[in-house]
Amino acid sequence: MRRPRQSVFACAVAATLAAGCGASGSATTLTFSGSALGPEAEVVNRQLARFAQQHPGVDVSLRITPDAADQRHQLYVQWLNARASEPDVLQLDVIWTAEFAGAGWIRPLEEHDADFVAAAWEAAHWRGTLFALPWFVDVGLLYWRTDLVESAPQSVVQLRDDAIRLGRGPTRFGLVWQGARYEGLVTVFLEHLAAFGGRILDAGGRVVVDEPAAIEALTFMRDALGSRGFVPPSVLAWQEEQTRFAFQNGDALFMRNWPYAWALLQDDAQSAVAGRFAVAPFPAAASGRPAAALGGAELAVNRWSRHPDLAEALARFLTAPEQMLERARVAAQLPARRALYDDPALAEALPIPLGQVRAALDAAVSRPVTPVYTELSEILQVELHRTLSGQAPPDIALHRAASEMRALLARSGLADESKRP
Amino acid sequence: MSPRLRSGQEHERWLVPLLVGPALAFILIGSLVPIAATVWEALHGHDLRLPWLGRPFIGLDNFIEAAGDPRFRAALVHTVVFATVTVPLEIGLGLALALVMQTATHGRSAVRVVALLPWAIPTVVAALVVRFMFEGLISPSFDWLVRPLAAWVPIGVADVWKTTPFVAILLLAGLQTIDPALHEAASIDGAGPGRRFLTITMPLLIPTLVVAAAFRILDALRLFDTVYVITAGGPGTATEPLSMYAFIALMQRLRFGYGSALSVTVFLLTFGFALVWVRTLGRSLVGDRV
Repeated sequence: MRRPRQSVFACAVAATLAAGCGASGSATTLTFSGSALGPEAEVVNRQLARFAQQHPGVDVSLRITPDAADQRHQLYVQWLNARASEPDVLQLDVIWTAEFAGAGWIRPLEEHDADFVAAAWEAAHWRGTLFALPWFVDVGLLYWRTDLVESAPQSVVQLRDDAIRLGRGPTRFGLVWQGARYEGLVTVFLEHLAAFGGRILDAGGRVVVDEPAAIEALTFMRDALGSRGFVPPSVLAWQEEQTRFAFQNGDALFMRNWPYAWALLQDDAQSAVAGRFAVAPFPAAASGRPAAALGGAELAVNRWSRHPDLAEALARFLTAPEQMLERARVAAQLPARRALYDDPALAEALPIPLGQVRAALDAAVSRPVTPVYTELSEILQVELHRTLSGQAPPDIALHRAASEMRALLARSGLADESKRP
Repeated sequence: MSPRLRSGQEHERWLVPLLVGPALAFILIGSLVPIAATVWEALHGHDLRLPWLGRPFIGLDNFIEAAGDPRFRAALVHTVVFATVTVPLEIGLGLALALVMQTATHGRSAVRVVALLPWAIPTVVAALVVRFMFEGLISPSFDWLVRPLAAWVPIGVADVWKTTPFVAILLLAGLQTIDPALHEAASIDGAGPGRRFLTITMPLLIPTLVVAAAFRILDALRLFDTVYVITAGGPGTATEPLSMYAFIALMQRLRFGYGSALSVTVFLLTFGFALVWVRTLGRSLVGDRV
């Protein structure tokens, strides 16, 4: 019922692009680009082949792009700026969708169903229009040692007290997180921010990262690094793997990390804490809510694609429940569809206990949805890192970051989203 | 004989543009065109991320923005200070190493191989090794990489360790051009090793020193990979050199106009330095004799 109308629409658009539709027999090649590391490649190739089987006369080829997000982003921007018609379907990091939509590089999509993790669904929209389909999600988790504390901390105060009490006895460190100057630091900050009731941008797109709640959150992070704190200053050079090593050697009571660490930490051969940890969302202060930064990937259709209807069909195929479930089983990535979390098949497919992940997903917060996100994040990374390394006090650093962000939004013509139609 | 020769010369004349052409085209395409394109881009407002703003010609606005950009100014200071601190160290150590290599009597080739080893290691690898050393092996309780001033130490160590052999080999070549007869004559006249070093070796080595320093300073002003690996410019932007800021503006922020302006600045800085260096020191020391 749905598909014919959709392809008529797509053909019409394609015709106006003078690109033709190619539906009449001759072999059509679709290009898909995404990450293809180990098991990911296996499952993607299998699914692309299945799609081709269901669509006679269609070939789908996988174009492998760099796994480093920055490099893939740079490549995409160069292709799309040059109006390249390939790849037809693009794997986007959740934080790029607004940028690509704002630039007019990806096609708007019709909303068929909204059964997706709320924060991922929000990140797939730009100015009220759907531009991408959530594919898989990643979510920030607080790993805690079940043999040392009785329950996950219910508040940041409890987190701090436990970390200080035990961080100098049974373990070397109370809490470890990703503190190097990169995107990971922003996700850590985002969780602290939500815990204290702050935000980076408000609903109207205005910069509010210099408000008291944010200053309080950053002060909490900075004090945690101090001499009477519970986070080792070394974290300022750490990314995910260094924090995992510390936790897996039994050196940390708490660790903030992503779900990928679960299976590795359960591996007896390398982990000293196998079977002695659990996960929870990052706890809240009195003024905020528990939070888990949302990451993950979405699929979008290239604006210049010669086969937009087929490309959209491929994106919908890959984001269908069966494919997501298969992906979870093979590559252990969390599906972006909400309903799957009630499916016992998923609980079986994933190494990580579903109940604990679901609590984190319910608490998921997305990063600001704006075309200039990467630049906003870079401004923030610098000022956060300056504060945490003792080069600036939290209030001054955040005021400086906020004014730079406002200048950026003004320069980009995005200063007041609330006044847009 | 002669008609054949003449026809050969005519033939050669016809060949001239053909033979020189590829080299000229190579220089033109390989260096002049990209530089000109970068300068042209630097005069435009061009943000790949914000295509709706277009690519307007904005004159020197990017350079004006850079002049008022505290991060740019800090990067400029970092770059210049880094060059002024590391280059003298490298020259001093390189000279010592060159003297050792020249005077070593036993296992001369072994000494040279060992001395040159760091130079043969890719910068990124050398920087990684130094980073690992400073991350844990050297005083585990002190976090070098997350302190604004201390973070310069591993960067300096990596750079000096890696490039001292390069200076040493240049100076060794210089040392070997000095006629041993001069030293013999001086020692017959009663000059000790210190005196001979100051009055014979040093003056004759100065042209080589100038060249070695020029190479090193130009390299130091374009500092990038060592920092990228060791601190990535952090903590905050406390160890960020110019080239890295230009790289971030271009490749991460995708502000092609502004990033090009920063690149042009790095280019002008190094080019200007090279010009002054060659004109003043170079001419007075090398030019007179050539």
